[in-house]
Amino acid sequence: MSAQHRTTVPGTRGSLARSRPRYGEFVVKAVLLTAAMVSVATTIGIVIALLEPTVEFFAAVSIGEFFGSTDWGPLFNPPAFGVWPLIVATVEITLIAVVVAVPLGLAAAIYLSEYASHRTRKIFKPVLEVLAGVPTVVFGFFALTFVTPLFRNLFPFLDLEAKNALAAGLLVGVMIIPIVASLSEDSMAAVPNGLREGSYALGASKMLTSVRVVVPAAFSGIVAAIILAISRAAGETMIVAIAGGFKSVFTLYPGNEMSTMAAFIAQAGSGDASVGSIAYKTIFAVGSLLFVITFAMNYLSARMVQKYREVYD
Amino acid sequence: MSEIGISVPNVNVRGPEVPRTIEALDPVFTVSNLSVFYGDYEAVRGVDMTIGNREITAMIGPSGCGKSTVLRCFNRMNDLIPGARAVGEILYHDENLYGDHVDPIEVRRRIGMVFQKPNPFPKSIYDNIAYGPRVNGIKGNMDEIVEEALTKAALWDEVKDKIKQNALSLSGGQQQRLCIARAIAVKPDVILMDEPCSALDPIATTKIEDLMQELTRDYTIVIVTHNMQQAARVSDRTAFFTAEVDGAGVRHGRLVEFDETSRIFTNPSDKRTEDYITGRFG
Repeated sequence: MSAQHRTTVPGTRGSLARSRPRYGEFVVKAVLLTAAMVSVATTIGIVIALLEPTVEFFAAVSIGEFFGSTDWGPLFNPPAFGVWPLIVATVEITLIAVVVAVPLGLAAAIYLSEYASHRTRKIFKPVLEVLAGVPTVVFGFFALTFVTPLFRNLFPFLDLEAKNALAAGLLVGVMIIPIVASLSEDSMAAVPNGLREGSYALGASKMLTSVRVVVPAAFSGIVAAIILAISRAAGETMIVAIAGGFKSVFTLYPGNEMSTMAAFIAQAGSGDASVGSIAYKTIFAVGSLLFVITFAMNYLSARMVQKYREVYD
Repeated sequence: MSEIGISVPNVNVRGPEVPRTIEALDPVFTVSNLSVFYGDYEAVRGVDMTIGNREITAMIGPSGCGKSTVLRCFNRMNDLIPGARAVGEILYHDENLYGDHVDPIEVRRRIGMVFQKPNPFPKSIYDNIAYGPRVNGIKGNMDEIVEEALTKAALWDEVKDKIKQNALSLSGGQQQRLCIARAIAVKPDVILMDEPCSALDPIATTKIEDLMQELTRDYTIVIVTHNMQQAARVSDRTAFFTAEVDGAGVRHGRLVEFDETSRIFTNPSDKRTEDYITGRFG
């Protein structure tokens, strides 16, 4: 029967070859590749755009002065190019933000993923994500007109300036809480329920199960969330420009006004630095530095995640 | 083995070797008129049974008959499911398991559980075993506790050289024995097993079954299984559950028959049990 059947099939030879062309497959692949290439191409474009003025900048200003001095004032006369005040301000504000956002964000994530009822989570999570959508200019003015005056009244001994790194850092921290909380919650929710049951069955409380089983199992996702939040904090512009100020005097005290790298770029970029001038090229040099720092941080954290992650499937 | 050469299916009924009667039972759990609800739905209705000390009790029956649900009442695991609630009474050594004063966490420390899918934590073998003693504040030499638990679970020789390796590098059968070792490490009184071999191959299954025989000297074991041969091989007593549709058209799990395993498999008193074990149903 089967032999008879086989003879009725046309084209016995090469019958396993593709019977008709599948152009759709090719088109889909091309579209997907293009989509993937857009972000890569943008990154490469940014690097190229940054590179040329940066190289020109370092032809005029020595690397030794850029990294060896704490005197910053490229728009002044005579100009000074010691970048440390900007680095200190950026790192300090980012640190304050992380100190605020990581504990609160993680606590919120643990609550949402492990403690909240289904209904609470359904209400709470979108609200949290709305917080991520608040324009940062709002946070900036809130820091400037509410938080700073409040702190000056409550803690006069802090001796806060009208614009200061502390208030800016706190609000940058509030801004990135939803990033930490929402992404951490996603990765904690993805931890198989069997792990929780295994822990409960050994007599572990909810708290111990959350902290010793769920968080470690979701660790790589949590670290990724924190890194993304740090990158956002380091590059945040509007809050630090409004509430942190532009004064680039070298200081470590967060009660003082200080200018971050992003704030400087915004200030100089919106000012009247003429194209091709040394002040104009400074913007690109600082931009390159910010890019390198963020990139290095992301790379390091990716390595860390690889090393410490607990794979559960 | 047999000189006559008749091929006998490898169903070694453990019951007749150690004949016991229901009356001689030294009860660890006494279940009276237990019903379990998920919200308004009554998943299991009116279960009465007794779990004997240092015995292996098997719970068998078709899917959806409520055997796992009943098992999860013994360590109050159902508390973790929103809307789940148990009605009736379960006495654990004369103490009401669902009494107001009872702390479910303390219950679960005494009554361990092994799950259908091996669920080792994504940590080292050592940390998997040490987890229970640590969270329960058990003092003592942790290295010894870990070695003892792994030895009891017949896993020590296979893993002693890679104790710091991730538990997920073990095979499925080893992972399940690790989970048994993890349960043993907190020195429980009872070990509940929810289809512990359903994800394992026959060789790994045999190892777990042998292990259960070893463990029954020190522990009371309750096992839910889909595998009737397994129930026959390992258990002293067997509870047969089935799902029945009531007058309102709602399905409930019911306990049909509970008796010595030898009796259930050779001379069941209920027609439904007989139909199930002879393969005419389910």
